[in-house]
Amino acid sequence: MRPSVSSRAETRVPSELRRFYKALWVAPLVFALIVTTLYPTIFLIALATTKSTLGKPFRSFVGLKNITGSLTDAAFQLTVVKGVAFAFASAIVEIVVGFALACLFVALMKAGRYLLIVVLLPLMTPPVMVGVAWKLILAPSGGLLNGVLMNMGITDAPISFLATPVPAWLSIGIADLWQWVPFVTILCFAALVSLPEGVHEASLIDGAGPWQRLRHITLPLVAAPLASIFLLKLIIGFKLFDLVYVLTFGGPGLTTTTATFSIWRLALEQFDVGKAAAQTLIYAIVIGIVTIPVVRLHRWASEHYS
Amino acid sequence: MTRPSTRALQILAAAVAVTFFLLPLAYLLSVSFKRKDDVLSGNFLPTDPTLANWPAAFESTSLTTFIFNSVVISVFAGLVTIAITLPASYAMIRLGIGKKALPQVTLASYVAPPIVGLIPFFFLLKTVGLLNTYPGLILIYGFLNIPVAFWLLTPFLRRVPAEIEEAAALDGAGRLRTLVSVVAPMIAPGIAATTIIVVILTFNEFLLASGLTLSDGMRTLTVGISLFQGDRLVNFGQMAAASLAGILPIYVIALLMQKHLVQGLAHGGVK
Repeated sequence: MRPSVSSRAETRVPSELRRFYKALWVAPLVFALIVTTLYPTIFLIALATTKSTLGKPFRSFVGLKNITGSLTDAAFQLTVVKGVAFAFASAIVEIVVGFALACLFVALMKAGRYLLIVVLLPLMTPPVMVGVAWKLILAPSGGLLNGVLMNMGITDAPISFLATPVPAWLSIGIADLWQWVPFVTILCFAALVSLPEGVHEASLIDGAGPWQRLRHITLPLVAAPLASIFLLKLIIGFKLFDLVYVLTFGGPGLTTTTATFSIWRLALEQFDVGKAAAQTLIYAIVIGIVTIPVVRLHRWASEHYS
Repeated sequence: MTRPSTRALQILAAAVAVTFFLLPLAYLLSVSFKRKDDVLSGNFLPTDPTLANWPAAFESTSLTTFIFNSVVISVFAGLVTIAITLPASYAMIRLGIGKKALPQVTLASYVAPPIVGLIPFFFLLKTVGLLNTYPGLILIYGFLNIPVAFWLLTPFLRRVPAEIEEAAALDGAGRLRTLVSVVAPMIAPGIAATTIIVVILTFNEFLLASGLTLSDGMRTLTVGISLFQGDRLVNFGQMAAASLAGILPIYVIALLMQKHLVQGLAHGGVK
């Protein structure tokens, strides 16, 4: 038998060179991760410790002034709290709604698969356009919701949903839910249909009611995927920006201004890049810290339930 | 097995869900056919439908340029992502390179919010002279979506039986040729779904595009649409038409590829 080319090559090439060839497979990926993760981190640290503007970075070294200033800035603290609170609140609500919807789709069998196609549309829509679509519904003049409320005689004058604090947050939440519940539903659906078929029948024979089946059979079986879906949605929630920009532009006042949005304005409207860099670092670290328990939960769920 | 009353409830719930998910899009479509004064009526359907908003949206803005820019950048960025990720995740599985580190590092880099990249990428592209250019944006997006592609592709690659590759190796094919001509065709649906998802992610991105595109000629669709927002005399009908014109290509792709997309998302997201 003729020896294969690859094994012949492998015996001739010295081991160091072979290791170099092997490394080439992942080198572009490592380079890309350096550009997208390591370089920004180092660059942000450099910017944060200097007085920097968008036009002239690194004007003078200021040490930790930007960082300590931001840490004690009550207005900035509030934007961080809002960003984190939104991510957790939206992830919790959306995983409950998305899982319920997935159960419904599974129960509907064939029709459920067609419904999955319907929910793909919101998921694929650019968030900016999601904002535009919901703005048309919620606008005080010409908005569909106000039109319906007034035609039905429920309200006399149009309500500025996006210019009132609590409704403004609810509006962002609903638009976010509209876009991301489909994502949760598709993933939960996949987890549910991949369950072994006998499970459902066995529990029916045992005479378990629907709630008992959900609580004692289905939920433990999908706990691991649910935890990973929750983690994913949480991470996506920290990235909230487009909906705020289009729907409220951070308002009314600063009500819906999250950390991402205030940093964006600081950098691109006030050009205070040094302070923006400091705040970005703080926000990223806070995200990392608050995500750790969820990562732990995810690990625990995958070990405990599979 | 299901009682009729339960069945009725299920159908009712499904109807509510479908209405909720389609209503904003249906209203967007309806507004795109409304005249300027009709928009303020707040009725669901246009009282006197007009087609005028659609050509007007293209004529009064650089909509065609915006869409073209978004398509070019997102498609090429998608190719960059796949060209980098496919060999790397293949090497991780078959050659064991970075078996522990790669999944952790890619996850960690995905957790960082995009705002982290905004200022550093601005200065990086400015320094290398690629700010406000196609190659600059293509590289940034191509690199940024690698973690997502890595997650989506890896489960597909894992399912390829090693025996098939051993057979290819016996035939004298090197690793790279085995990947391109044996493995890649086997997981074509997975590669297709991953490519579409990363292309759509780039097409939909707004935050970085808002800071890294500086002239009208380079602006992407999402930035272009957001500029409508600042306009005090915003024409809702034209805005709706422009938004829909921009997302229709995505919807067509999504509907044509729905089966692969759902599978790709499902395999990558839940393991």
